[in-house]
Amino acid sequence: MFLSIQEFVGHLHPVLVHLPIGILLVGLLLQLLSRNPANNISPSVIRIVLLCGLVSAILSSVSGYMLSLSGDYEEDLVDLHMWMGFAVVLVAFFLYVKIIRQQRDRLYSVLSVGLLLLITITGHLGGSLTHGADYLTAPLENAGTGNLVTRKPIPDIKEAKIYADVVQPLIQANCVGCHGPNRQKGKLRLDDSVWICRGGKDGLVLHPFKPEESELIKRILLPSDDEHRMPPKEKHPLKESEIAILRWWVAQGSDFSRKVKELPQPPRIASYLLALQDGNSAMAGSAALVPDSPVAAASEKDIELLRAKKVEIIPVSQGSHYLSANFINAVHFTDRDLELLLPLKKQLVWLKLGGQPVGDSGLVYIGQCQALTVLHLNNTRINDSGLLNLKNLYRLRILNLVGTSVTAKGVSSLSGLRNLQSFYLYKTGTTPGDWGSLQKSFPKTLLDSGGYSMPFNPWDTVNELKPKPVK
Amino acid sequence: MTQKELHNQRLVNEANARTLSHLTRRHFLKESAMGLGALALGSLLPGCLSHADNGSIAFDPANPLAPKLPMFPGKAKSVIYMHMAGAPSQLELFDFKPVLKKLDGQDCPDSLLKGKRFAFIRGVPKMLGPQANFVQRGQSGAWVSDYLPHFATVADEVSFLKAVTTDQFNHAPAQLMMHTGSGRLGRPSIGSWVTYGLGTENQNLPGFVVLSSGGHFPDAGKSVWGSGFLPSVYQGVQCRSEGDPVLFIKDPQGMNRDIRKASIDAINEVNKVEYQEYQDPEILSRISQYELAYRMQMAVPEVMDINNEPAYIHEMYGTKPGKACFANNVLLARKLVEKGVRFIQLFDWGWDSHGTDPSTAVDMGLITKCKQVDRAKTALLLDLKQRGLLDETLVVWGGEFGRTPMMENRDGKQNPFKGRDHHVDAFTIWMAGGGIKKGGSYGETDEIGYAAVSGKTNAFDIQATMLNLLGFDHTKFTFPFQGRPFRLTDVGGTVIDDIIA
Repeated sequence: MFLSIQEFVGHLHPVLVHLPIGILLVGLLLQLLSRNPANNISPSVIRIVLLCGLVSAILSSVSGYMLSLSGDYEEDLVDLHMWMGFAVVLVAFFLYVKIIRQQRDRLYSVLSVGLLLLITITGHLGGSLTHGADYLTAPLENAGTGNLVTRKPIPDIKEAKIYADVVQPLIQANCVGCHGPNRQKGKLRLDDSVWICRGGKDGLVLHPFKPEESELIKRILLPSDDEHRMPPKEKHPLKESEIAILRWWVAQGSDFSRKVKELPQPPRIASYLLALQDGNSAMAGSAALVPDSPVAAASEKDIELLRAKKVEIIPVSQGSHYLSANFINAVHFTDRDLELLLPLKKQLVWLKLGGQPVGDSGLVYIGQCQALTVLHLNNTRINDSGLLNLKNLYRLRILNLVGTSVTAKGVSSLSGLRNLQSFYLYKTGTTPGDWGSLQKSFPKTLLDSGGYSMPFNPWDTVNELKPKPVK
Repeated sequence: MTQKELHNQRLVNEANARTLSHLTRRHFLKESAMGLGALALGSLLPGCLSHADNGSIAFDPANPLAPKLPMFPGKAKSVIYMHMAGAPSQLELFDFKPVLKKLDGQDCPDSLLKGKRFAFIRGVPKMLGPQANFVQRGQSGAWVSDYLPHFATVADEVSFLKAVTTDQFNHAPAQLMMHTGSGRLGRPSIGSWVTYGLGTENQNLPGFVVLSSGGHFPDAGKSVWGSGFLPSVYQGVQCRSEGDPVLFIKDPQGMNRDIRKASIDAINEVNKVEYQEYQDPEILSRISQYELAYRMQMAVPEVMDINNEPAYIHEMYGTKPGKACFANNVLLARKLVEKGVRFIQLFDWGWDSHGTDPSTAVDMGLITKCKQVDRAKTALLLDLKQRGLLDETLVVWGGEFGRTPMMENRDGKQNPFKGRDHHVDAFTIWMAGGGIKKGGSYGETDEIGYAAVSGKTNAFDIQATMLNLLGFDHTKFTFPFQGRPFRLTDVGGTVIDDIIA
């Protein structure tokens, strides 16, 4: 495919445009400096510089006009930019005439200042066209929050609208920068259902029920080094899950009004969609182990008291006030010292006491840490009677009692912990006979009795191979 | 000049060189051209200094291994990475290709050879059908061959990546690629990155432990667990399952623990004086390393002694106490994870199935290698699971590249035994635990297992996924070096969402 001459000249605009800006500004600067005779700047130099600036301004105006014919840009902004550009040429021309006539009057100064302003405004408009209207100010507006696009949280994915709540935010975050109100690359706009259906300069981009024929999907599936691939190489690629959702949406007929629950979902898609529900797909899954609701920071003094006992206690992640505590390095502590956890009971979500000399009297304090989602008490000295203290830890997801002397009786006293996902009971006082009734007490929980064995077979006897003679 | 003066002179030179090495051309240009104005502007526009606030990890040289916060709550807390050095054949273990069986013995078509370079194959090789019998296993229906009868029973616990690719077809660079994200020397290994980012929980043990079996170290040498440009305290600590767990960990004869303590205190005193003079943070790291070494003298022999494990555990793993073997190392890895060690790297050498002799034949030596690891790696998954550790321990098993569907013909002549050459376009790796989906599979190869047709991944994607599970955005997890932020995944890597639970 050949570019027409017009398109070719148009594509030179982004290069040419820098020449008049630079040269004219140098001309203006020289003029200002020439006011001081000590600088000894000859008027002919200023004349030549301004002439060069004028010629380059004409060239970039012409090329700019040709580029605007491509229609890839928002019309209003392009018009404004174009007229300002022509104004630059005109003012530069008058200034040049004045210099030739050596008229250094008041109008001359006004023209100079006017040219400076015009160049600034035109340049800014041009920048807004190529990089987007908010390019300059975005870093200031986003300061502190990073450049994360905040997606409206979806409280219930089944009730969410497939286009408005799922597909549109995806397109908004990844496509609209170049295919939206400010720029329409390939004459394509994707910021609204009407535009999406209208397509771009190569025709329709969306064929309902046929993702493999829809340019919208085909382009994002191209290999990353293909020049037609969307989003282009220098932008963030779509995630596997996002591509899958878009593809599924088109395969289901690219509906713009229905709710998610009205469309059939293969398991993979259902899990991707569910991940959106929590508002942050990167954290879905672990979100359950850290509450969604924010919490006030714990007092540094209370944390230091535990650190003095060599307890590793840190927030679960950057920017979170929820805490995890691990007693792996702890020395010389008694059950009473666990009282130190109480001031942190709102923040403490993960607690590991594995292998430590914790007994039933320590569980009294742990039972009050109601934010806990993960609790490891493996290889401790606890018994059935102590377990009763834990029955109010409703948020608990993972409970590890491996290597303790608890029995089925104590364990079943915790059957009220409805959120429990995994319950580890290897090497406890529970017996194989207990499993039927225990599983009934914990219908939704994965109970792990451990004690896995692997059969022995002749295969396991490793015999080194004797080298055979080479033929 | 006396000996002491000469020594001091050397130290001063070294310190000066270090200071200078931090001053690069970029610093010069930045500071001379724009000077303080630029610095002032920089602080006014936080958006311009993007690497300053997102991703830089606080590094406390006096306490380099203290636990640190991930960027978001990670699902995995520790990693056991089992690397089969030499590259196991995916076509005998996981990637079942019935069509290849039919083509066995036929000449390889030109289209597969055109424009390709192999390590040893020359001319036109013959196709080599799968030597193992494959059966679909568990509820997930994953194909696992009868070379791995024990592992086949836990196929539902893992996720397979079946279309992994690399761009390095020799062992050393390919191993470097998998572990450091570059085929060349000098980058930090993934274990170093992880301990740099997260520190480690047990302050009496190293955060990054390396164990090796199979009679040889990996071809890439110790650089596969090196710390590259990260502070040297994050390099892997090599331990042994035979003899002393760490070389020279015992006090020499005639030196008791009090004298050892006194000498370490004295050395640290000297180092503190040195630090006050030169302010080199590596000196603080050195002090903390001496202290760690002293604590390790007590903690390591205890944790590295597998003899105190019960007999049924030894049976389960198939250990050979007193010998250096993969099974012992795997059992040690479980003990280390239990003790709060962040990253355990296992290497097992001997998987390079070229078919030049029986020990490298895919129908003979490969079986022996499988027997050596099958029981232990299966036991590891089951044992971690019953201890409630699999939830938060990421287990990775794989090699540095795959093997060709063609039979190797070294120098154009048929090899004496059935073997396969190095292959970069498709191989299989599995991951389990630590937030990985159970019974998952991602990626497919063509009908002879030659190239990826969908779900193609590479070392960067695997590293990005591992970091994601540990709570890091791999694009923001950087370290400034030579004037620019460096990443484990360089400029690549996509988190493989499809195998994340």
